[in-house]
Amino acid sequence: MKIDVQSLDTFNQLAHEGAQEATRSMTQMTGIEATVEVTRISLVDRKDIGEELGNDAEFVGVQFGFDGALTGETVLIFEREQSAAIVEALVPGGMADESMAQSSVKEIGNIMMSGFIDGWAEHLGTSIEHTPPSYIERQGKDVLPEGPETDEHDQVFVFRSEIQWEGEDVSFYIYMLPEYTPLTELMAEHGSSGTDAIPIKKLAAFNQMNREGTRRAAENVEMMSGIETEAEVSQISFAPIEDVPKRFGKETHVGTAVEFTGAPSGFLLVLFDEQSAITVAEGLMPVDMDSDELTDQHKAAIEELGNIMTSGFVDGWANVLQRSVEHTPPRLVHDMGQAIIDPLAAQLGQHQRHAFMIDSTMKTEELEFESKIHALPNEQELRKALDDLDVDRADQTEADADRLF
Amino acid sequence: MAEVLIADDSEFMRNLLREILEEDHNIIGEVENGVEAVEMFKEEEPDLVMMDIVMPIRDGIEATDEIKTEYPNSNVIMCTSVGQEEKMKEAVKAGADGYITKPFQKPSVIEAIQDVVPS
Amino acid sequence: MKIYDGSESGDSEETTPERIKVGIAEYEVTADGATLTTSGLGSCVGVALYDEHSGAAGLVHVMLPVADEVDDGKPAKFADTGTELLIEELESIGANKRGIEAKIAGGSDMLDFSEGGSGIGDRNVEQVKETLSDHNISLAGEDVGGDHGRSVRLQATTGDLVVKSANRQDRTL
Repeated sequence: MKIDVQSLDTFNQLAHEGAQEATRSMTQMTGIEATVEVTRISLVDRKDIGEELGNDAEFVGVQFGFDGALTGETVLIFEREQSAAIVEALVPGGMADESMAQSSVKEIGNIMMSGFIDGWAEHLGTSIEHTPPSYIERQGKDVLPEGPETDEHDQVFVFRSEIQWEGEDVSFYIYMLPEYTPLTELMAEHGSSGTDAIPIKKLAAFNQMNREGTRRAAENVEMMSGIETEAEVSQISFAPIEDVPKRFGKETHVGTAVEFTGAPSGFLLVLFDEQSAITVAEGLMPVDMDSDELTDQHKAAIEELGNIMTSGFVDGWANVLQRSVEHTPPRLVHDMGQAIIDPLAAQLGQHQRHAFMIDSTMKTEELEFESKIHALPNEQELRKALDDLDVDRADQTEADADRLF
Repeated sequence: MAEVLIADDSEFMRNLLREILEEDHNIIGEVENGVEAVEMFKEEEPDLVMMDIVMPIRDGIEATDEIKTEYPNSNVIMCTSVGQEEKMKEAVKAGADGYITKPFQKPSVIEAIQDVVPS
Repeated sequence: MKIYDGSESGDSEETTPERIKVGIAEYEVTADGATLTTSGLGSCVGVALYDEHSGAAGLVHVMLPVADEVDDGKPAKFADTGTELLIEELESIGANKRGIEAKIAGGSDMLDFSEGGSGIGDRNVEQVKETLSDHNISLAGEDVGGDHGRSVRLQATTGDLVVKSANRQDRTL
């Protein structure tokens, strides 16, 4: 099965418009102004679905099944505190009554999600039935449905829209998890069947290579800093290029950026939040600095760590594809997240309207520590690299120097 | 005790290598790119160069190639974060005598040096 | 059961919350003194226009210099078409072109890997200035270049543009 950039774009736009429709319904009912910030399609390991929601935040919302041209599950979720504002807007005093609160959430969810699903059906010129909504209330990623059964790679496409309230730093989310086969068939149908199509199997294999790369980068962090680090997630997403920086907020990040060339070329970032940067830099340094501020020594340590993590990540591509991927020396960055990404997205944006973005996360259990790797490959070159990818070699990510020296 | 030149653009890495090597070897200099590495090599003719690959101005493979062409008996160990087979082959072609991937543990560095310049 | 009538297609221009966020490749205008904000400008440029007489104000967050290079029907994404669009929109809510003043921020050269020539940040700034000058709009203030990110807040009641950076004091243009 092959999909092309055109069909990815079409489906991303459908999800985005569906989310806009749903948001307009909510605004009409509650007077709460909200806008759909970002919609993206990701290919992700089934067990990693919703990892970005964490484990602790409490969510309430509604869940539907849908059936027809597309089959699967979709949910609309609010953080619990936000749902209160919505309930109050709908039914003043409604939060005092638990069952009233639940039925309000259910009702608004129902109306919003009908708008979401109807948009899809209309565009696809077919009908999509949906089940009555059920009210859900769970913590973190458990709020999402498990995701449909899939093929041997156990990866699924997830559509995710983030909707933000005007003037507030709060968001709610729509997730749609369609069954793999009907979705990919539909996407293949809606593609331009040109030469730029990507076999989904290769995309999935590429995802697994990146998971391996993340694991290696995590090992490097652990070896250098002594912080036990686990690779958590690796996924590949597709979105309009201008949506790429939007995913990074105003929070200050520290890390490194490189440009890589070869197959493919593009940009790679290793980012830490400020606290994680200090934690890991302290771990790297032979002498304890015990500083709450990020010092120049910390930055030098981060720079080298970023360098090593970058290599750990892209070496796998080079070894599987049997060619070399060069990267520039790392440049240290310490700025607002979005401002770090936008120059990179803009440089790619001179030649492409959309971007594939590879996101990996690594964490540790004991400490407040998180690190992310983001790669932004040139779209055409990525397609070419995937074309050349020999799926049977996808596990050959490591090279053995001892064999050559 | 070998005379060692360290070529790495990362101050952090140079310090780390210095700490590991200082005990048994004489570090005659630290440089930050391939051009400086070649220049200093010509001046000092050390027994061993610990050479990074990804460096500004000129990379470590090119620098190794030049050193090895002019001084076939010199010793160069690549000491790099790059773990790509194609790069390793390029390093072999340039004449490198060893290849250590970062991050490394102290024993592996000592062992690699022992292989190249036995004490 | 749809209860919306489908008649609304625009974004939130018909209502006027106090504070309106402008995303990348988006713009907003206000005639009622709302505060327009946009954050995380790296090489992107925030163009703020203000007409004192009518009180109309607008903000656009552009990403690339010229639409010609990758035309994709998103005028607010580009410095040339985005600036033009904002001028038109400001006029459509009552501004007189001769009264409009501009203030700009952003266009940093952080993480520019392009070799030789000027980077995207510089080119964005140059293009915005050129388009403004083509329309005879004067530049009343700028905070551009450097190697850091910026967030801006346009107070439509006064035309003040407050520029925030991660490691620097706020500046008001």
